[in-house]
Parts: sequence; C-alpha cells; structure tokens
Amino acid sequence: MSTAEQVRAFRGMTRAGTRSVLIYRGDLITGAVTLVIQVVLAIAVWRIVYSGRGPVDGVDARTAVAYAAIAACLQSVLLPWQFSSLPMRIRNGQIATDLTRPLGLIWQVFGQNLGVLLGRLPLGAFGLAAAAVLGALTLPPGWAAGLLSLVATVGGVLVAMLCNLIVSMVTFWTFEVGGPLIVYRFGSAFLSGSLIPLWFMPGWLRASVEWLPFQAQVYTPVSIYLGQTRGGQALALVGVQLVWVVLLTGLLELVWRRARYRVVVQGG
Amino acid sequence: MAEQTWLRQYVILERAALRAQLQYRVNFWTTLMGGVAYQGTQLLFLGVLLGKFGLIGGWGFSEVAFVFAMRLASHALYVVPFGALMFTDEMVRDGEFDRVLLRPVNPFLQLVTRRFQLMALGDALLGFGALAIFGWQAPVDWTPAKIGYLILAVVGGGLVETGIQTFFCGLSFVATSTFSLRIFADSSITQFSGYPLTMFGRATFYAFCTLFPMAFISFLPATVLLGRTSDVPLPTWLTTLSPLAGPVVLALGYSFFTKMMPRYTSPGS
Repeated sequence: MSTAEQVRAFRGMTRAGTRSVLIYRGDLITGAVTLVIQVVLAIAVWRIVYSGRGPVDGVDARTAVAYAAIAACLQSVLLPWQFSSLPMRIRNGQIATDLTRPLGLIWQVFGQNLGVLLGRLPLGAFGLAAAAVLGALTLPPGWAAGLLSLVATVGGVLVAMLCNLIVSMVTFWTFEVGGPLIVYRFGSAFLSGSLIPLWFMPGWLRASVEWLPFQAQVYTPVSIYLGQTRGGQALALVGVQLVWVVLLTGLLELVWRRARYRVVVQGG
Repeated sequence: MAEQTWLRQYVILERAALRAQLQYRVNFWTTLMGGVAYQGTQLLFLGVLLGKFGLIGGWGFSEVAFVFAMRLASHALYVVPFGALMFTDEMVRDGEFDRVLLRPVNPFLQLVTRRFQLMALGDALLGFGALAIFGWQAPVDWTPAKIGYLILAVVGGGLVETGIQTFFCGLSFVATSTFSLRIFADSSITQFSGYPLTMFGRATFYAFCTLFPMAFISFLPATVLLGRTSDVPLPTWLTTLSPLAGPVVLALGYSFFTKMMPRYTSPGS
C-alpha cells in the first residue's frame, strides 16, 4: 500500500469514527445539554467559593471561573466515556478481520479515535458558548499566548489520545477492560487538572502531578490561554508535552509489539 | 417457575452475574479500584477546594464531607443491587431485550441481574467507610434516633437514585440511546449533590427537589441531622420527611418503566 493510499485509509477510519458519534443525534443533544448544565454549575461553584474574595494564590475569581469552564469543555471532548471500539473488537473476535486489513491496527484505531474526537468538537463548542453567555470566558492576554495555547491544545490532544490508546491495549491481556479504563478516566480527570487547577493543589500533590502526563492534557493549554503561565515557563510546559508525546509513542510501540503475540481471536 | 419468589429469582440470577464477572481477575481488582478512584477524586477535590477556601455556601469541610459520605453510601445501595440498569440501553439497541421478553421472569428483574457491576463494590467500600469516618467527625450529637434517621435517609437516597435510573430505562424503549442522559444523571449526582444545594439559588434548588430530585439523596436529610434546616426554603416538617421520597420516586420510575416497555420494537429482522 502506498503512502497516499494509507493516508486515504486513515482518513476513511477518521470519517467512520466521526459518523459513529454523529449518528446518535439524540445522544449528542443530551450530551451537549449535559455539558452545558455542568459548565453552568461549575461556574456557580467557583463564583460561590470566591464570593467577594480577592485573589487566592495570585488567582482572581474571573480566572478561576474561566478555568473551570474551559477545562470542563476540553475534558469532555478529550475523554469520552466510550472512546475506542478496540476493547469490544478484541472481546468479540472482530480483531481478526482488523488485523488482515492493509492499514496497521494502530493507525486504524488512532484514526477512529481521532474521528470520535472531531465528532465531539461541537459539544465542547456548546459548552464554551454557554460559558460565554454567562460572562465566564476571558480572552488570552495577547496573540502570542493565544497561539501558544492553540499549539498546547494540539499537544494535549496528542497526549490524551496516546494515553487512551495505551490503556485500550490492556485488553489484549485482560479481555475485560472496564476496570483499567475507569481508573484511568477518573484518575486523569483529577490529575489533568480539569476538576481543580494545579495552582490550588497543596505542594506535595502538585509536585507529584507535575511528573505525570495528564497535566499536559488540560492544565497546560488552559493555564497558558489564561495567561497564568507565561513566557519561558509556558514554552517549557509545551516542551514537556513534546517529551510526553515522544515517550508515550515509544511506550505504545513497545506495548503493541508485545500485544501482537498476545492476540487471541475469540469466537468461531 | 411460578413457585419461585422474585427475591429467590433475584438471588439466583445475581449470583450467576457475579460469577461471570469474577472470571476476569485483573479486571475485578482494577474495577474495584476504579470505584474508589471515581468517588475518591471527588472527595479529594472537595478537600483541596475547602482546604484553600474554608467555606462553601457557609458550609465547612466536616459538613460537606458528611453529605458526600451519605450520598456515596446511598449510591452504593443503588449500584450494588441495581447497577446493571446501566446496560438497558445497549440491550434495547442490540435487540437482546427480545430474549428478556421470552423468559418467564419479570423483565425488570432480568435487567438488574444482567451484569454485576463490580465498580459498585468499590463505591460501597468507600461509601460506608467514609460514612463511618465523616459521620464521626460531623458536628452531630449522635443518639439512637439520629442513627435510625441516618439509616432511613441512606436507604431512601438509594431508592431515589434507583427510581431515576429506572425512569431512564423506560425512556430507552422509545429513545434508543439514553447513554448521555444516564451519564449526566450519574455525574451530576456525583459532582454536585455533595454541595449545600441551596447555594445555587432558589429556582435551581426547587428543580433539584422536583424535576431532578437529587436534593432528596442526601442534602435534605443531612440538614436535619446537622441542625441546618433553616438553610432550606421548605417547611421543616417537609424536610424531615425527605427519606420518604425514596419509595415515591422509585414507584414513579417503575410505573413509567412498565408503561414504556410495550413500546419496545426489536431492531433488525
């Protein structure tokens, strides 16, 4: 298969992923409503804890509220509940057909996950729109910060997708993957800083969170966007994302190489 | 089949479901941890937030943590016996519900025993553990009457959640995919029912008492135990009766479920 053909196949997988999200319109609408309600409540919670208070740890109410709103939207796009069909395919034996396809399995799954992510983008936009209506959004301090936060968002998406993929791979060993996925989902919800920004974490907790890849998914782009992390520090955070992308790609390759020999095709 | 009581049927089916889940050892332990992680991060969040800000809506950590613990214990009482309701959607969509209708056992009973939710054990572990610890630390002078009220409140809260989920099951016969709605119910209850709900304003609070009756799960009975009924814009006698909402919500949810079931249409040929 030539590179052009592979790209076409990859794009096909992506389209299929997007379609799998968009086809359940009712689900998508309730998803959007859900996100809006959650954003509204999260904004309310942060406004209430601040209620008239000045900056806490150098963060004022506006910034904290904007962080909560944006982080909730980003998280809901990055970490859907059903982010990959890989575990299901392994369990019901469909993996056999997938492995015979001319496009490598990793690329198939990656394409499909990317499609799901794209399909969920309108959802995040809905959440952001609600936050804007409530006056909870702020603009980045300058063009440079805005651009860098865009780069950091792409970096965050890559880190999140790689993590999602590695966790899905566990199915090759355990068949049932519900458990690891749940630990991962909730662990990362907290560790990515989407529930509470790293600024407010006690020192020991923050220090440990900074050593993990999850903060690169949500905390890095949002804190750069809000101008809480600036200049050299912001560039360093994006650098950390890059390091994680390289490390996680290596890890994925390693896991996949071993997983290949673990493939058991279930069913007749 | 007729001579078996439904309780006996439940025990038989649920035991089989549990056995099926226990086959996957690694999954068993990680799912258990998943339950703890899911709820634990929420507690961690409240701890970090209140550690920094002290009060939320006038409530301190010991009070908020007590509401959280009551909520989680109630949640465990829903999710351990009835958690499989979560899969109704899938069964309706794949047409597996056909099989349910063919068997000589109550469909609702078959749905709840469809699959044992291992994560529930993690919820139960953390819920009852947290209730013991934060109940101890809460500013409540415990008397046998108050402990009795606490038990009623926790059971009532579990029934409210079961009622809400049963309602969604009824909805899945006509809406096919109610997954987002269900996740919404679950995550709203997890994320927000620990707060003093009156802080969101009167209109939202009344919505939490009627449209989406989350206030009955732990907040209202907790105000009775914490001596904070004056925070609630409802008559005290009504707030005190809040554990009774459990059976009421469940009855409503179940009657909706039975009303919607005949509208099931089998997908495919």
